[in-house]
Amino acid sequence: MMQLHAGATAVSDDPLHAPRACDGRAPDVFRPGGWVPMRQYRESEPVDFAIVGTGAGGGTLACKLAEYGFSVVAFDAGPYFRPLEDFASDESEQTKLYWTDDRIVDGDNPLQLGSNNSGKAVGGSTVHFAMVSLRFRPEWFKSRSMLGYGADWPLDWHEMWSYYAEIEQALKIAGPVTYPWGPPRPRYPYRAHPLNGAARALAKGCEALGIKWTETPLATLSAPRGLARPCVYRGFCVTGCSTNAKQSALVTWIPRAIAAGAEIRDLAMVGRVEVESSGLVSGVHYHRDGRWRFQRARNVVVAGYAIETPRLLLNSATARFPNGLANSSGLVGKNLMTQSNQAVWGRLEQEVRSYKGPPSLAITEHWNYEDRGKDFFGGYSYMSQGPLPQLWANTLFNARGLWGNSLVEAMKDYNHVVGLKIVGEMLPQESNRVTLSEEVDQYGLRIPRITYSWCDNDKRLIDHSLKFMRRALEAVNATDIWIQDDDTCHLNGTARMGSDARSSVVDADCRSWDIPNLWICDGSVFPTVGGANPSLTIQAIACRTADRIRALARRGELEAGSARPSIHRCSIEVQRL
Amino acid sequence: MNRPAERDLIAMAGIAASGLALASLLSSSSARVRPPRWRLAAPGRNRSSNPETVKAARRLNRAAGTLAASVLADSSVEHYRGSFKNKAMYTPLLVSALTLATSLHGTADMRPLAHKARDATYLLAAATGLVGSGFHLYNVGKRVGGFSWQNVFYGAPIGAPMAILLSGLLGFCSERVREAHRTRPRIFRLPAGRAIAAVTGAGLLGTTGEAGLLHFRGAYHNPFMLLPVTLPPIGAALLMSAAGGGPGRTHRFTRWWMRLLTGMGFAGVGFHAYGVSRNMGGWRNWSQNILNGPPLPAPPSFAGLALAGLAALGLMKAHPDA
Repeated sequence: MMQLHAGATAVSDDPLHAPRACDGRAPDVFRPGGWVPMRQYRESEPVDFAIVGTGAGGGTLACKLAEYGFSVVAFDAGPYFRPLEDFASDESEQTKLYWTDDRIVDGDNPLQLGSNNSGKAVGGSTVHFAMVSLRFRPEWFKSRSMLGYGADWPLDWHEMWSYYAEIEQALKIAGPVTYPWGPPRPRYPYRAHPLNGAARALAKGCEALGIKWTETPLATLSAPRGLARPCVYRGFCVTGCSTNAKQSALVTWIPRAIAAGAEIRDLAMVGRVEVESSGLVSGVHYHRDGRWRFQRARNVVVAGYAIETPRLLLNSATARFPNGLANSSGLVGKNLMTQSNQAVWGRLEQEVRSYKGPPSLAITEHWNYEDRGKDFFGGYSYMSQGPLPQLWANTLFNARGLWGNSLVEAMKDYNHVVGLKIVGEMLPQESNRVTLSEEVDQYGLRIPRITYSWCDNDKRLIDHSLKFMRRALEAVNATDIWIQDDDTCHLNGTARMGSDARSSVVDADCRSWDIPNLWICDGSVFPTVGGANPSLTIQAIACRTADRIRALARRGELEAGSARPSIHRCSIEVQRL
Repeated sequence: MNRPAERDLIAMAGIAASGLALASLLSSSSARVRPPRWRLAAPGRNRSSNPETVKAARRLNRAAGTLAASVLADSSVEHYRGSFKNKAMYTPLLVSALTLATSLHGTADMRPLAHKARDATYLLAAATGLVGSGFHLYNVGKRVGGFSWQNVFYGAPIGAPMAILLSGLLGFCSERVREAHRTRPRIFRLPAGRAIAAVTGAGLLGTTGEAGLLHFRGAYHNPFMLLPVTLPPIGAALLMSAAGGGPGRTHRFTRWWMRLLTGMGFAGVGFHAYGVSRNMGGWRNWSQNILNGPPLPAPPSFAGLALAGLAALGLMKAHPDA
């Protein structure tokens, strides 16, 4: 133990200001102060894939492509943390996980950015996500033709559900023994976690209203896994798990990627994708260690999530592509979709202590799978809540206007607070979009302007959910019930996939229609969002894309490069170091 | 001294007592060959009357004591974890401690006579097991979701009180065997060896169910977690077959299997100690992880039952019609 601590102190550094993944090694996320060997690539020699972003999309894809034998360099603008030593049980400190660079928001319902909908770290926002790992309802992949709204995905739900099974295994999702909604699915690899007081309140409400509920499938361990410990129910999940129970990209896909020979570059902000005269992309310009650099690549994958992805594509405009890359359809940046995240809160006579354990231990997807009795398109799920104290004080201030003594009095009831919150589907609208403002950020890059307005359908869905959740809280004898009607969560869209180059940005393989060696692989490609948290679907798309890239490479249909066994041998040597 | 500290002491005392008692129980097996001098004063000792029934009875006392030690330690830890929220949660600690003491007494006692206090204690233990099962069922059933996986995983363990019931039953059987020095050993008019073998077989199956449920909760993340759900049912089948079979069989394989199960029961403590180390902070964080991790005292209940199986087989060997 003493040795461990001495080692940790000796190598302690500041991951926010100096890159850690260099000199042939990367941080070992499982050991304080530890390192793992990492293969590195020359900037002057093209790698098979340069991936921009290391979250649910980029991190997953980097792992799979590296394991398939491609040479991969993945860039992240954020730091490379070791959760065991870098994460504090402190909400303010942990805002270091968020993307808080300058952005401009407008529209009728401007989005609040910078916390739950962004991440700036190796592992992306999975480092602080709520771990809710839901599958999309099969019909949502054909919501236009089967349900009459939104747009069809160019993907088959059977195929996606088989990828879900792969991801659930890869992350050892802890879920219920049987899932009450949708077609049969394989058993979750780990068992569900025990319910906390907030989850029991959700369950009682559902039983009183006669609808089904279940334990939320969560990407946090309920039993040991390798060097990762099972969840200790510390409750700081959405500010970063300091025990590695959370199966984020940082502790799952990224270590696998490095072991398979991928290189991760932290604190590396990609500012521009370079296009050659041939019309193909040739690499990325990125800012690291105080200067701009260029990495040559045969393929570039943009995986920066729904704001940074269109921003990078738009910022990479050339004379040949004056409206930005992959934008012949004019849809890059358009159809931004957040998910409604409204809540109903109340007070229970007995103590709830909702902050114990993961915040959303119980869920009902009733209104995702039930279409009768709705006056709106789409669906929503709702989950039990466990706001941390600082967030809760902010909520009381922002949503209820409490301040001073009234805020202090309300905070005294913190242990009795119970709440239900939706993840609701919002419809794609071209007017909800990401564009570039004239202002520039610390890198000299034009900052994004995000325009968002709810449509009537969005409002009807929110209205329905709030009425229903109020009944659910009334059914468990909650008092002082009030509504938080202005919150939103995940971001998707802005580079939608489709089967027609005129009405989409990428095809089903996440390959851009315009530039065959430019790919987009993150939540941006969603044509619709459904009423379920998107992380599992983003990872499923990434796994599918990797499989498709391997298949295309074998058929010689990649623009450049292919799986080269020599690289795989090299990566094995690296592991033996 | 405030209440939580008292609870700490009670739980610690329970664990310590069960450990000490278990050690002395197991070491007392040497008494078979070399009776220690301190028992010279044991009155009315009549080893010539029927040493085999006394020997079998003492082995059953030892099995009952091993089970009681497991229950004492397990309920100390688990009910401490539950903060002794209900006063009744002290009961299994008291009763299993008493059963353990009784079993120690029985293991040391060479007399071919049943003992009233031992009989009463063993019956009390059995009753405690039944009532405890009722309590645990009630606890699970009243939780939201009723008898769902969530509640059988995380509510009061339904099978756990059965261990003290089995301890009481085995102890009660030991008294019947012990007093049968002039007749064939019978329990409720059934041949004693076969009856005990059948009870032990059923106990092994029940304990397998408990281990299976909790190891399923742990998603069998370690392949060794499959051992206590595969080896004991085979042992149960062997015991049942012995119980149902005719006289004159040596049961060599069954005996060997019971020794294997005894070893597995004690090795399980080691595996569970490893399981504790895999929780956050490992053994440095013992005060949290002993409560959080796999229960250290649980696996020896398999050993207790296997020892009872060995006693039954020994009795059947000495008395082919028992």
